[in-house]
Amino acid sequence: MHKEQIQLERLLDLLVLEASVNLSQQEREELNRLLDLFPEYTSDHFHKTTALAQVGFYLEDDFNNETLPEHIRKKTLYRHKKELGQSTVTDYLDHFMRTLFYRPQFAWALTVLMTIGLSFSMIEFKNYESNFRYLPLKKIVMERTADDLIQYPWHSRTNDLGPINGDIVWSDQQQKGFIKIAGLPMNDPNKNQYQIWIVDPLKHGQPVDGGIFDVNRTDKAIIIPINPKLPISKAVGFAITLEQPGGVVVSSEPLLLTAPKERPQETFPKV
Amino acid sequence: MSQCVGNITAVKKEHFVPMSSENTDSILQLIAKGEESAFNLLIEKYGNLVWSIGRKFLYKESDVEDAVQEVFIAIWKAAEKFDHTKASEVTFISMIARRRFIDYLRKVSKHRNLQSIDGDNAQELFKESILNQSTDLQLIKDAIGTLEIEDQELLKLSIYQGYSHSEISKLLNIPLGTVKTRIRRNLIKLKGLFDIKQRATVIELNNA
Repeated sequence: MHKEQIQLERLLDLLVLEASVNLSQQEREELNRLLDLFPEYTSDHFHKTTALAQVGFYLEDDFNNETLPEHIRKKTLYRHKKELGQSTVTDYLDHFMRTLFYRPQFAWALTVLMTIGLSFSMIEFKNYESNFRYLPLKKIVMERTADDLIQYPWHSRTNDLGPINGDIVWSDQQQKGFIKIAGLPMNDPNKNQYQIWIVDPLKHGQPVDGGIFDVNRTDKAIIIPINPKLPISKAVGFAITLEQPGGVVVSSEPLLLTAPKERPQETFPKV
Repeated sequence: MSQCVGNITAVKKEHFVPMSSENTDSILQLIAKGEESAFNLLIEKYGNLVWSIGRKFLYKESDVEDAVQEVFIAIWKAAEKFDHTKASEVTFISMIARRRFIDYLRKVSKHRNLQSIDGDNAQELFKESILNQSTDLQLIKDAIGTLEIEDQELLKLSIYQGYSHSEISKLLNIPLGTVKTRIRRNLIKLKGLFDIKQRATVIELNNA
């Protein structure tokens, strides 16, 4: 075969490829060299033919009934608006939400994150709600509604403390209570914290941890919720000690306050 | 689905009124004139075609989605280069779409070969309306019809389905060299037939 014919065939091969796939750098350079040799050809020699054939085959394909998805149509319109510099904040938000929720991985990730976030929020809110909000009101409500309410004033068990005022209310049925207290000195939470103890000899041999608290003001009484770490069957007494930060499971520190002053004799185990 | 199809049918019928009248601008011409609503028409009319081509070329749906958007923006930007004396609107659009999707092929090696089984006549109306407007498409259809069935299949795999020559070689168990030669030969033939028929049509129109 004549050399020129070989080169022409190679050129046509490359032009066919050019119209169908992306040429490699090497093929592109070769094509350019051959186009210089055959200036009557251009790199888009087969472009129109392949494009027409593409549509021709498409029209003949009875199985191809695909339609442009609506969300792609909207995305494209958004991009067009953006190109024109006409996209509004509403368009942006609309586009953002559509993008976020259309892609399943985004939607799932968002759902998981929202669930986790919501769970934490609920836990936090619950803790915050049950512990710190409207405590005076909650204490009053409990005092008015609990059928089995017990209420004792606090008694100081050490001479190191000044005059102490306040009391403790508790309901076994509701498994909660409040202490109201004034006169306790402020503590440094980095060094120590006050801890509440619940005496429930029927169910627990040792006093049950009722939670820790800090005193950060002395000008007026503070109200602290009692959060028992174990179920209480029948609380008969309460105490407050000063413990290491975070509290302890079993205390070896001296009692600061008790309510009532002395544990009722009948609650001690009979020997 | 049927609701959606019904709407599409209505839109297609309305939009595919043949634009052969000299006084009527094509969508691309409207875009070139700065008619903003023309972009909507462009998507309405050619969305299915461009989407369909993209699905043939690209494997990942997210690639198709991105590429289709780029294709329409590219068409919009190139609208003023459209010359209806050189190619029909659908040919122009198809050429841009193919180039864009081929660019994407550089990034991804696999392509998708989907066969929709969702038959409805909306798409048929859409296809017919394209055909009615495009003389060059009718010519290429006729030209394809003159090829051997095997050669039509070969071109279909390459041009329509987006298979590479080596993939076709494996699929049909034909030597790679043979695949290349036959595709080249048939494309040359197709181009030749098309060019002859187009010239004949132009002469016929000029004599009319």
